[in-house]
Order: sequence, then structure tokens, then C-alpha cells
Amino acid sequence: MSALLAVEDVVTAYGKIEALKGVSLEVAEGSITCLLGPNGAGKTTLMFTVAGILRPKRGAIRFAGTEIAGQSPHAIVSHGIALVPENRLVFPSMTVQENLQAGAYARDDRAGIGTDIEKMFTRFPRLRERAGQLAGTLSGGEQQMLAVARALMSRPKLLLMDEPSLGLAPLVVEEIFSIVRELHKDGTTIFLVEQNAHLALKVAHHFYLIEQGKVTFSGTPGTLAEDEVIRRAYLGSKA
Amino acid sequence: MLDALQNTLDGLFNGTAYALLAVGFTLIFGVLRRANLSYGPAILFGAYAATWLSQQGQVSLLLLGVVTVAGTVLAGAYVERLCFAPHRHGAPLAAMVASFALWMQFEEAATLLLPKHLYDFPALWSGASLSLGPLFLRVETLVLFATAVAILGGLWWLLHRTRFGTAVRALVDQPVAAELAGIPAARTFALVFALASAIGGIAGFLISATFQQVTPMLGMWSTLKGMLAMMLGGLGSLPGAVAGGLLLGLVEAHSQWYLGPQARDLVAYLLLFLLLALRPEGLAWWMGRWTRTRSAS
Repeated sequence: MSALLAVEDVVTAYGKIEALKGVSLEVAEGSITCLLGPNGAGKTTLMFTVAGILRPKRGAIRFAGTEIAGQSPHAIVSHGIALVPENRLVFPSMTVQENLQAGAYARDDRAGIGTDIEKMFTRFPRLRERAGQLAGTLSGGEQQMLAVARALMSRPKLLLMDEPSLGLAPLVVEEIFSIVRELHKDGTTIFLVEQNAHLALKVAHHFYLIEQGKVTFSGTPGTLAEDEVIRRAYLGSKA
Repeated sequence: MLDALQNTLDGLFNGTAYALLAVGFTLIFGVLRRANLSYGPAILFGAYAATWLSQQGQVSLLLLGVVTVAGTVLAGAYVERLCFAPHRHGAPLAAMVASFALWMQFEEAATLLLPKHLYDFPALWSGASLSLGPLFLRVETLVLFATAVAILGGLWWLLHRTRFGTAVRALVDQPVAAELAGIPAARTFALVFALASAIGGIAGFLISATFQQVTPMLGMWSTLKGMLAMMLGGLGSLPGAVAGGLLLGLVEAHSQWYLGPQARDLVAYLLLFLLLALRPEGLAWWMGRWTRTRSAS
């Protein structure tokens, strides 16, 4: 498998504070790759840097061979990367249907957009029931599904997901992860940030551990190091 | 009773003008979360460009309208590029202060172009007022009101039925997610600015052609009234801005009649003070409650 996304020595800073201190990692095409790490390790910063919300100070980000570091978010979306952000960030005063339409903003094939909205409703029947409802009135789990569906509306080759299980009931988390598996089966490459390491390692083909802005470990789930990685993902290496 | 009705009809003109100004203000504030103090002065620039043209000879009213709007949009684009585009992330105060600097620029430019304090502006309507029994209604009020209804209807359509509208509403709702959805924020902001300026320009033209005069005070007047109406309505709500503008116009007309012109602005600011003290969400709160109860029943 070749690397669909290659991050090389990326440094991203908030003012003078470097949140990413030279991160390098790869996401293989067709894989589910997982990024683990304690709070404040730089996981969301990395996601925002890949998606173009934050500009890296240094380093290269290549997507399918093209350099994308420092490009605007809408340029990156049109390359085929979509991010489901932490805390979902649906458009609360727009309807479910309008949220999906907004997700397809980068496309201009009206007919295709209509078909894809229909596909989303088939994949997420709850969203069809709530099509005309304001997104702000949905439950947390429904908002997470909407956020995933909205990201899929841009037809991404690579789906970035930042903490999709955050604040959701265990049953809903199960549902979200079965969606992750389905999406993967349909050919979408997935790069996942997760606090819930046990769950993440069940679906991931490959994982990275990030601590204090640096990748400190990478490997395949099922190896002996797994327990150690999980402990560090929750507690940090100093615990 | 007759007085009260006549005041209401008179207040409708200013109220509608304030509503349009507040809608322009709210568009910019809602999308950018930045107060544009140069909003009125950009209108002044447009109105002065048209006034200058009318001094050069016989010019049709329609052309003057087009020049006012085009001038306002041009000045608005200048404000956007200089004050708001560079401060899109952070520094809201810097954007506001910069827009204040441009306010001074526009006033200076206007007085350099036309140095007298007061200039005539061609009349929108030179006939008599309409009489409704014992009451009088200015034709200008009807024109302004009809224009406002058309603009608000068009705006609603634009915001709720077009791709551009989806982008604008998404940016207002959740800016980060909007960018993640592939919505080009910088370009959309620039277009919203142009749209708000165009609405301000139309209001500025109808106001100038109704009062048949322009002074350099038009800039400050538009910013103050627009901002006041926007705050009455609740920051960021378009229906609130319309309600705030109408309320301000009516309150001004009545207090001018019953308490005298000196008390007019006092009453308006007292109203704002009371509203902000009791209901910081502005009139939008009552409207929200109205829609909530309506959908619940």
C-alpha cells in the first residue's frame, strides 16, 4: 500500500508556542490509521494543519503526491480531504438537508449532489427522518452522524475524523465505529484521532502515538507494545 | 389620535431607512463579527459622487441612483480590503479602529470634492403628498417602503435559496466548519461586504433624494442610526434589524412631536439603554419567542 497522505517534519505554532514539533507520519491508501495521544499532545492541531485551517511553520504535507501544506481549506477539500471536526460543529441554525448541501459546496454537479444526499439518507436513516429539522435540535449522536455525512458530501478520498466518540453514549459510539468500518469497506481511507484507544485499536490497521507535539511510537495493533501505548495515550509517558 | 396616526406615517420613512441601514450593518456584523464604522461614510462617498455628477449638468435620477450605489460599493470594497481582509483572524478591535480611520478619510475626500456644507440633491418626487382622508402620506415613503420590501424579499431568497446564501449562513453559524466544508471564506466575506454596501447605497440614494440635500453629516448619521437600530434589534438578527429600524423611526417621530426635537435623540438612546438593560438580546428575543410559541402550538 502506498501513502495517500504523507506528513513530513511538520511544525505548527500558536504564536511562539510550537504545538507540533516536527511530526512525520503516513496514512496508507485504503487503510484506517489512528492517531492516539493524551490531551494537549497536538492531535487536533495536526488535523487542522492537514485540513488547512492552520498553516504549518515548516515541513511538507503531501496528498496523493501533491504538496498541499499551507493551501486554503477549500483548496484542500477540492483535492479530496474532508475533516469531521472535534465536537462535530454542525451548522445549528440550518436544517439537516442544508447542512448536507453546505458540505457539497466545493462541487457544482447539482444532480450528483442530490443523489449523494439521498445516499446519505439511506446510510443514516435518522437523518432522513430529521431532514427538515434544525441541526441544533439533534441529539449528540445524530449531530455526529450529520457531521460525518456532511464531510462525505465532498466525496473525499481521505476522511479525517477528530474524536468522533467524544461525549457520546457507548451504544452510539458503537454505531459510529461501525460506520467507520463501512466507510472503509466502501474504499474511503480514514485517519482517525481517538481518545478511546481500546476502541480505536480494534478498527485501526496502523497507529501512531503522539506526545507533546512529537510522534513517539508507531505500530500495528495486536503487538505486545499495545498495553503500554494505551497507558501512554490516556496518561502520557510521565504518569 | 390623528396626530398619532400622522406621526406614525411620518416615522415610517425614517424607520424604513433605518431598517435598511441596519440590515446592511447586520450582514457585515453577522458574518464577520466586526463593527464597520465606515459603513455610513462609504454611503457618504457614494452620495457625494452622485451629487458631484448632478452639479455637472442635467442627469437622470436613475443614473444618480446607479452612481450612488456603485460609489458606495467601491468605497465598501476599499474598506473591506484595508480594514477587514487583513484582520479576519483575531484583532477585531484593529479592524474597527482602522474602519474609523477610513471614516475620516471619506469625510475629508467628500469635503475636498464638494467644499460647501450643503448641496442640493435632485428630488425623488416633486408632486404633492397623497392624502388619505385627513392624513398625508409622502410618495417618497411609499417608494422607500416598496424598495425595502423588495430588497428584504430578495435578500431572503438569496440567503435561503442559493448556494451563496448557504455559504453565508454556514459562515455565520460555524465559521470553522464552513471552511472545512470547502466554503471560500475570504471571497464570501468580500461579496457580503459588497452586498451590504449596495443596500446601504440604495438607502443613501433614497434618503438624499427625499431630503433633497446632502451634507458631510450623512456618513455619521448613517453609521449611528444603522448601529442603533441594529442594537435595538439584537446583534446579528436580520428580522431584528428591520424591527429595530422601524421602532427607532416611529419612536423618533412620536417623541419629536410630543416632546420636541431636542428630546428626540434622548428618547431613542433611553430606549436602547432600557432594552439593553432588560433584554440584551434585543427585539430578536421577542421574535424568537413568537416563532417558538408558534411552532410549539
